[in-house]
Amino acid sequence: MPREEVGVILGGPQGSGIETSMMVLTRALARHGFGVIADREYFSNITGRHSYIHMLISSKSIPRAVRYPVDIVASMDAETLFTHISDVGVGGYIVYDTSVAMKKLEEIPSIEDTTKSRIAEKLRGLGVDTTVSSILRFLERERGCRLVGLDFAALLRRLLARYRIEPRLLSRYVSGIIVSAVATLLNLDRRAIEYSLSLQFGGREELVEQNLELLKYVEDGMQSLRGAVALEKPRQSFRKILVATGNDAVAMGKIVGGLRYQSYYPITPAADESFTIERHEYSSVDGVDVGPVVVMQTEDEISAVCSAIGAALAGARSATATSGPGFDLMVEGLSWAGANEVPVVITYYQRGGPSTGQPTRGSQSDLFNALFAGHGEFARIVISSGDHEEAFYDAVEAFNLAERFQVPVIHLLDKFLANSIKTTPLPDVDSVRIVRGMVTGGGRGYKRFDLSSTVSPRAFLGAEDTIMWYTGDEHDEYGHIVEDPENRRAMYSKRIVKMDMILSEIPRERKLTVYGDEDPEYIVVGWGSVKGAALDAIEALSRKGFRGAYVNVRLLWPFPGREVLEILTRVPSNRVVAVEHSYGVLISDLAAMAAGVRIRRGVAKFTGRPITSTELEEALHKIITSGVERVVLSYGA
Amino acid sequence: MEHRSYKTDLWVDWCPGCGNFGILTAVIRAFEELSLDPSKTVIVSGIGCSGKTPHFVNVNGVHTLHGRAIPFAMGIKLANPQLTVVVHGGDGDLLGIGAGHFVALGRRNIDVTVIFHNNGVYGLTKGQASPTLPLNTKTKALAKPNIQQAVNPVALALSAGYTFVARGYAFDGEHLKNLIKRAILHKGAAFIDVLQPCITFNDVYTAEYYRKRVYKLEDEGSWNPVVERPGDRSSKLLKAIERSFEWGDRIPIGVFYEDAHTTTLEERFSQRLKVYPAVAPSNSRIAESDGRPVVDRRRFEEVFREFIVDVEGV
Repeated sequence: MPREEVGVILGGPQGSGIETSMMVLTRALARHGFGVIADREYFSNITGRHSYIHMLISSKSIPRAVRYPVDIVASMDAETLFTHISDVGVGGYIVYDTSVAMKKLEEIPSIEDTTKSRIAEKLRGLGVDTTVSSILRFLERERGCRLVGLDFAALLRRLLARYRIEPRLLSRYVSGIIVSAVATLLNLDRRAIEYSLSLQFGGREELVEQNLELLKYVEDGMQSLRGAVALEKPRQSFRKILVATGNDAVAMGKIVGGLRYQSYYPITPAADESFTIERHEYSSVDGVDVGPVVVMQTEDEISAVCSAIGAALAGARSATATSGPGFDLMVEGLSWAGANEVPVVITYYQRGGPSTGQPTRGSQSDLFNALFAGHGEFARIVISSGDHEEAFYDAVEAFNLAERFQVPVIHLLDKFLANSIKTTPLPDVDSVRIVRGMVTGGGRGYKRFDLSSTVSPRAFLGAEDTIMWYTGDEHDEYGHIVEDPENRRAMYSKRIVKMDMILSEIPRERKLTVYGDEDPEYIVVGWGSVKGAALDAIEALSRKGFRGAYVNVRLLWPFPGREVLEILTRVPSNRVVAVEHSYGVLISDLAAMAAGVRIRRGVAKFTGRPITSTELEEALHKIITSGVERVVLSYGA
Repeated sequence: MEHRSYKTDLWVDWCPGCGNFGILTAVIRAFEELSLDPSKTVIVSGIGCSGKTPHFVNVNGVHTLHGRAIPFAMGIKLANPQLTVVVHGGDGDLLGIGAGHFVALGRRNIDVTVIFHNNGVYGLTKGQASPTLPLNTKTKALAKPNIQQAVNPVALALSAGYTFVARGYAFDGEHLKNLIKRAILHKGAAFIDVLQPCITFNDVYTAEYYRKRVYKLEDEGSWNPVVERPGDRSSKLLKAIERSFEWGDRIPIGVFYEDAHTTTLEERFSQRLKVYPAVAPSNSRIAESDGRPVVDRRRFEEVFREFIVDVEGV
């Protein structure tokens, strides 16, 4: 029977084309009209360590988060089978290479020792030997899984017999086997695959043809399984859909928002954003310039932020993108921007810290770093985005806020959003507005820091007949160093009272959004990429009779305490649960500090893997039905 | 133009007799003689005594962070390539905390001028040894002789890729002014190492010390630092580097190296960005008059077509 949703794991060694498999499948599914979300999990490694793609495909809507168990595990190697033994559901399908059947856990060098012993212990508990074949037999016997064994080498030999492919490039076609097997199970149309392959291998027609040929071979061997995991007819009616990562969504938002200078120092998971911007640094569409964006790879993050500030002084909308370690290096520059009221945007993708921590895994544990890093007091704005769509609009809004209030803006995201790929409706760019705030042409006697208003009219360096000064020292209205106590009082206050202005001028829906039941029994509070899993969990619980609401906090600083307080006091305090990818569930402390609300219930996850809908639903259920105060999640390989 | 117009009326709070006065005067005279438009000129400085320079000159001034003047200058110049950008920094500033940026500017050959206030000490923090103070030198504020070696700023600039490299002396105003003019007119990253006596903390490298030793490279008839053809680069560079190590009884000032054949970063960007630098980040249109972005729906679909899937519902 066709399904409404299908979960898939694609697993294999890093560098083996697993990302290509994901892209080809996702675009083919999007071509059909299905909604897709795909989380990408990988090590800090170029080649060889286990990476996997965790997808959820839906015929009814665009999925918001991934969940377990999945319906298909498609493996390129033995490690995938050992690693994901628990992830496949009853009646699931296992795609594997028959040549790995005799592989033993002990023989796989790329599995870390701690993981290996944990898996060995689990297998011992299940009474299963540490070979692939015994795992497969177990899954078949105990979980009713269907085994889809393919002889990868034979398939590739067949391809080699027909096409002139350099033998050393042959392994690249393994990703095509995975695509073909999953596409066959899902009963995807050959033309949709062809369309997707053409996008993937743009212009290299021989690769499209070879992969289609491979699809034929795989289909031949899977006749009886065609459509075994078919989806219902898609119920969405988008004519066009974006298939993009969070990094891409932000890059597009920045360009639409008028970005003209982007600096970066290579760091995961931020660098892809700058790559995307660089690809689109300049276009001329019917004689109209889109750009130019100067994209600078700098010598370090200090130079990244300082040069972005410099470009902002010259009037360009400018930004930099980084993650925790890079942001730490930017902090002195951030304070300078605060002191000089510079509209600069820092896109901050959190990953697992402290230090290098888990450089390719996700986290929300840098909340306080974004909010409070810097010496001295000054106004800043920190916003977060709950999904790809919000990330696009927020990337535009970050510039508007920066220029309206003349403050540095931190757009706080995380690796989960940055790297996950999602089908997203095309943004309504015609509804977007560019707001540049108080801009002046300057003129003789211009005072950059005119005290007659909280936000002084801003002229750009280079304005005709205009001279201005900037300094990190306390300064007078012209920007010259002044240590006079009365000037200090006035100028220091001017910069800080912007916080009140920001809170009163930003509309409520930009501060937070509330989803779910209008008369909730319990309320979940979170920010950023928690949103998808939270909405799924609340919906699932409402089907079980629990009325819940989710508060998606979008403006993190200045914190919208009044609005948060107003919502959270609608339910008893033991019915408010904060959720975050961190140990401390830091949003609770923030609410206590800035809204005077104590949130005593929390769901934390700090393994670096995303909170899934399934485990969040269980955790919330436990908290609202028992006295449990804190649940720590840990599911996911 | 009247002499006073490039000078602000702020009290200059350097120590009386400081080499910085000579540098300031030379800068102002160079700006005057070049008739630079003050609104199209930007002085960018770091932290320390030299960091205050922009406040004393009546052109745009950006007094930044310790060591970071070059990155700020890079952002300003790339965003608005029409501006004349002059960086002022000390030896601790540009070659201590900011050395990475100093090298990076050479690699990029951005059209900015760096004026290096070289006094061998950290003045504002009371005389600690800087990266240009030689090993075993004991200036008066040091408890013990300097335990670190000096870096050679001219040799470093040459090897980093600066395309105009010179040395001046703070109290030879006319010579320094001419070097500054030539550096500003040079298309590419220009560096002037200015020997600057610190009257308060450096009692070794004093005005008296330099007065006896400096000589002008151009007084040697055979000295020609100009790269006439791209093929001459390495031989000219080697000669310049060799000469940069002359120090002691005779200290050369003047132009060590000048190469107008290496492309600037701005020119490299113009290869990619087509309309740059005429259309630049600072003057390109981002919105229509009603605030709608230049990237409307149709342009969005055109520019970002790599992300768009046409749904067929097959």
